[in-house]
Amino acid sequence: MQFQKEVEISAPREKVWQFIWDVDRFISCVPGCKDAKTIEEGKRYTATMVEKVGPFKVEFPTMIEVIEREELSRIKAQASGADNKIGSRMKVDLDVSLRTQDDKTILGFVAGVDILGKLAALGHGIIKRKADQVLDEFAQAVKQKLEGDS
Amino acid sequence: MLRRFRLEEPDSVTQVSELLGRFGDNAKIYAGGTELLLAMKEGLVRYERLINVKGVKGLSDVVVDNGTVRIGALCTHRQVETSSMLQQKLPALVKLEQNVANVRVRQAGTIGGNLCFAEPHADPGTLLMALGAKMVAEKSSAKREIAAEEFFVDAFETSLEADEVLTEIRIPTPGANSRSAYLKFGYLERPSVGVALALTVNAGTISDTKIAVGCAGPAPRRVAEAEALFDGKGTQEAMRNLPAAGVIAGRAAEAISDLHGSQEYKEHIVGVLLKRAFQSLVS
Amino acid sequence: MSKAMSRQRDAQFIPVSFTLNGRSQEIEVEPHELLLDVVRDRLGLTGVKRSCDVEVCGACTLLVDGRPVSACTTLAFEVRGRSVLTIEGLAENGKLHPLQQAFIEHGGFQCGFCTPGMILAAKALLDEIPNPTEEQLKHFMHGNLCRCTGYKKIIESIMAAAKRMRSKA
Repeated sequence: MQFQKEVEISAPREKVWQFIWDVDRFISCVPGCKDAKTIEEGKRYTATMVEKVGPFKVEFPTMIEVIEREELSRIKAQASGADNKIGSRMKVDLDVSLRTQDDKTILGFVAGVDILGKLAALGHGIIKRKADQVLDEFAQAVKQKLEGDS
Repeated sequence: MLRRFRLEEPDSVTQVSELLGRFGDNAKIYAGGTELLLAMKEGLVRYERLINVKGVKGLSDVVVDNGTVRIGALCTHRQVETSSMLQQKLPALVKLEQNVANVRVRQAGTIGGNLCFAEPHADPGTLLMALGAKMVAEKSSAKREIAAEEFFVDAFETSLEADEVLTEIRIPTPGANSRSAYLKFGYLERPSVGVALALTVNAGTISDTKIAVGCAGPAPRRVAEAEALFDGKGTQEAMRNLPAAGVIAGRAAEAISDLHGSQEYKEHIVGVLLKRAFQSLVS
Repeated sequence: MSKAMSRQRDAQFIPVSFTLNGRSQEIEVEPHELLLDVVRDRLGLTGVKRSCDVEVCGACTLLVDGRPVSACTTLAFEVRGRSVLTIEGLAENGKLHPLQQAFIEHGGFQCGFCTPGMILAAKALLDEIPNPTEEQLKHFMHGNLCRCTGYKKIIESIMAAAKRMRSKA
């Protein structure tokens, strides 16, 4: 599943870039994400993703790895996790980009999400909607946190 | 094999509600089990306790009461499909129930359970919405009516509170010139697209139109924008508005592309079913 | 699973008194046990089959109080106080039921895997509608799948049995 989002933030690029690396604040913007930990600064992090669709609940202990980094403009990362209770795995390939437009920063996400295992039984469509929702809420939360500060 | 769980067998709605309140996410109401047990077998959900509500009396009656048809939440699909009273008052609902799943599922599965599990690919919710149904939700201290439009929130999600129990479905008895139809389409085990249409025709003019679409998206939805293309119109004009109404209803379905078909395909089928439903009611 | 293994400190056992093929039974089951497993593994009646395991195919059809249920998705304790009929209980004193006879005479089965469920479902149909139209038959039997016969012979078998049962009645 592929997702693409862009959010316009009324804050300078440096500020947005710094925010991304402030792991606790950044992770707190991801709905259902908790217990963020830095394993290797700038390279490896862990967190727990908890998502619910009606009665179906998943808890993915997630490993996040930063693969590429272009100062102030791009981050390529991979997140993966498994919920052994439900027998499902998740993998996300994330491409984050920053660019300036007038006096605003455009934060862009391109995410490739794979859900494997039993959870897929729920139906591709429902998972897609959920993932879309999560990304939407995430983008909005980042925007609010950054704009609220200025 | 199912994981081990404890069985609770309360005999009143209050007790059920209290158990739900006490055990929260670790307990679940169990009636026919036709959806719940499948999810449990798949390992998609697990519960420490199942609350067998079938011991609570008075929840499986079909009664007509002062112009309202009242169907107990614990009525099985089979009970609804074989009710001569419902065949008289709500023939479209009886026809729908006759075609739910297969005879074994209909034997065990309850209409209340079907509504509460809120599986997107299900039939009853869509027609109940077009019939102006209200769901009665009870808990220890209170009782309230939830309009069908507000009942279905999302896939597998209703607006019932954690300790609320669906006890009854109330449907206003249709008037003399009122007609309704439910058409569905599917080639997999569960329906892919469902359209319900209810309207009244008086001296060639249509009124009280209710259109609901289901199965294609995460939850059944009323389509007021399409209804406006029929209300107050003569039957000929309404017929000319059918294609436009179909497009609006298709979009309102919030169709998701999945194994049942692409979004475009489902939206198209919504239009087709709406047209056929209309033609069956207004010839 | 032996009783010793399953009798944990706080395991819950539900007494189930029921009639199985006309005979009284008294067993104890845990709430999570499925009827299909109890009938096949504990009671040794293997005519009922596990096939799709999601109540779709009908190979696990049993009659409880004369009505068809999916044993794969029925909790065993639910048959307490009820009568259960399996395919093994259909013949009386070695004499085949008209449905069984008809399936043989009219070629209503090939591999035979769907057949116990098919025959039991047909019995429930004919008990309810002794003279069904083909449409009624197909509608009732819609949930019993067969991968071998293409259904034509099954329909013929059931119709023939219905005729014989009506003439005897």
